[in-house]
Amino acid sequence: MLFALPVLLVFLVFSWGPIVKGLVMSLQQTNLIDPVKWVGLENFRYVLSDPAVGQASLNTLWFTLLALLFGFPVPLLLAMFLSELRGRSWLYSTLAYLPVITPPVVAILLWRFFYDPSPGGMFNSILGSVGLGPFLWLDSPSSAMPSIVLEATWAGAGNAVIIYLAALTSVRTDLYEAAELDGAGVVRRVWHVMLPHLRSVLLLMLLLQIIGTMQLFTEPLLFTGGGPQGATTTILLLIYNYAFVNGDYGAATALSVLLALALAVVSAVFQLATRGWSTE
Amino acid sequence: MNRFAIRCAAGLSVPFLLAACSSAPSSGDAAGAGSGSGEQQVTITVGDRPTSSDPANRAQYDQKVADFQKANPDIKLNPVETLWDPTTFQAQAAGGQLPDVLNVPFTEPQGLIARKQVADLTKVLKDDGLMTQLNPNVLKIGQDQSGNVYAVPTAAYSVGLVYNRDLFTKAGLDPNKPPATWDELRAYAKQITQKTGQAGYAQMTTSNTGGWMFTTQSYAFGGSIENEDGSKASFDDAPSRAALQALHDMKWVDKSMGQAVLYDIDGISKAFAAGKIGMYMSAPDAYRTLVTTNGLKASAFGIGPMPQQSGDHGTLSGGSVQIVSPNATDAEKAAAIKWIKFAYLNKYVNQDAAVTAAKNGVAAKQPVGVPGLPVVAADQYSTYQDWIKPYVNVPLENFAPYTKVAADQKIIPEPPVKAQEVYAALDPVVQTVLGSEKADISALLTKAAGTVNAKLGR
Repeated sequence: MLFALPVLLVFLVFSWGPIVKGLVMSLQQTNLIDPVKWVGLENFRYVLSDPAVGQASLNTLWFTLLALLFGFPVPLLLAMFLSELRGRSWLYSTLAYLPVITPPVVAILLWRFFYDPSPGGMFNSILGSVGLGPFLWLDSPSSAMPSIVLEATWAGAGNAVIIYLAALTSVRTDLYEAAELDGAGVVRRVWHVMLPHLRSVLLLMLLLQIIGTMQLFTEPLLFTGGGPQGATTTILLLIYNYAFVNGDYGAATALSVLLALALAVVSAVFQLATRGWSTE
Repeated sequence: MNRFAIRCAAGLSVPFLLAACSSAPSSGDAAGAGSGSGEQQVTITVGDRPTSSDPANRAQYDQKVADFQKANPDIKLNPVETLWDPTTFQAQAAGGQLPDVLNVPFTEPQGLIARKQVADLTKVLKDDGLMTQLNPNVLKIGQDQSGNVYAVPTAAYSVGLVYNRDLFTKAGLDPNKPPATWDELRAYAKQITQKTGQAGYAQMTTSNTGGWMFTTQSYAFGGSIENEDGSKASFDDAPSRAALQALHDMKWVDKSMGQAVLYDIDGISKAFAAGKIGMYMSAPDAYRTLVTTNGLKASAFGIGPMPQQSGDHGTLSGGSVQIVSPNATDAEKAAAIKWIKFAYLNKYVNQDAAVTAAKNGVAAKQPVGVPGLPVVAADQYSTYQDWIKPYVNVPLENFAPYTKVAADQKIIPEPPVKAQEVYAALDPVVQTVLGSEKADISALLTKAAGTVNAKLGR
């Protein structure tokens, strides 16, 4: 116990300290200069009555849903594909991982250039050559969020691919061989051998992705500033605006507390619901 | 607009002004040396020291600090790299980490005065004689209602209309005659699009620039954003509706605004420099970003005054001021004023300082002689311009339509209370008008006014 004390102290001060401080601040009105004023649940009342919060919640859920539908299967398929390749697999996994090491700011600036809505923009000229578009990409409220999902999937897939690949190496090769001898094709090998082995990793990745996507921030900030017409304003971007643009730390922490609560609930429900599946 | 103002401050002042007094005016030497021996030494912390990644400007700044201390042996300066940053300022202020002297944009002084975060400089400014030398119009930015001064303006601009002279020529327009009214602007934009295929006009819309530029446009239509004491939104009225209607019609009826809706300062500068935009609202110092940073041909840069609509209403102003810590003692305040004068204002009143600054600007390949609003009295400013005439390296004739009008055009400050929050609430209004043909302008303004009133009341 004595030896654990320093670690425990560090943990308390640097990890739990800010959390408790955040909880306290959500009940105060402060600009960090004037004397602190206790306002009880006033900050919560204020953020819940702010119409921007409702829209930001829907936007965040919309992103999470899109990312699950399109962003989640992509790395899994990529990993399965890569694991089937014989030889030079290091080269392919390196290529798959490359976008991850591109700094997000650089990647987003690059993609903003791709998404130029004029007919002469990068994507629009390519699609135009086969008679499609021009599309507005980020400049239309309906396509802005899907455009962000596309970039985020490109940027983030590499991480998941590496984890899936590592998990796939743990599948015993004799199982594949046995299945092959039994006459199973690729699809049946994937369905009956590969996926069951990946189940616990898949569930964990799913939970991490839900939590991660609900904290979407960098992309809307740099791509669209939350526009057009608020279509890409997420909860985290709103928290950032409350705190650092408006200097309203009370509202920012109140919204953060609400987000943390929502995520805790989601995680708990997820754990309960999937307890049976992952340990099958 | 905070970030823009900071950029303006940087553009107008840092490389150029920092060089201003690197060879100290000789008059200061004698006075400083004489008074220094018997008096107690004062130490003040001064902000805005360039970082080590910017060695040329840092060296000039450090040289200036050394020269100042030589001229004022009773004052010791402690230079720090702190810059005004909206995301850290409040925390630094709370933690007592702010320097004694700091550069901040025009949006800030009123809030700082209200929160008692800045020192009252009235007495020291009067004692120093600086009070009478400054441009009274610009000085208002840092004054409270009873006329006490809390901030010293060192750079100022007013928003005008930047345009591409080459596109004007291609479209058959006279590049020396930018539009004077919004009706003309609309006709010009249409002509540019029809003749060149590029967007005739574009407007910033994201990261609070949408609200900021809408404010400028609304002012030009005779509107306002907040009532005088900043307690209520006042933009839900005819001038603002007319301003948005003009935007709507350019975009959807004339189709002269191109496809892009989401522009911030960087985006619009890049697109303009690439020849994709005919006109947009910005300040004269956009020259630096467009020509020096983004490679626009200097001869293609043109700027005119802010077009007006149904009368001569005025335009939005911005710039930067120097503030002094509220904890400063009288002696520290006096020292701070001496430094502010030495570092930022001497070039306007001292020929040697002006010439040195201009020479250094030319050597550093920075634009020298970009017109702005005078922070000193008008006569003094024109004398200063005569001093630096031989070193001016920007095509002044391209600024002529702006300078002819800007000196007399009425300048209107930004909304007095929570300007940034108000701008943020107005961003989506402009985005909706430019993003959807069926936007209901009245309903958008009424809804935004509700949001702003809730924020002003909080």
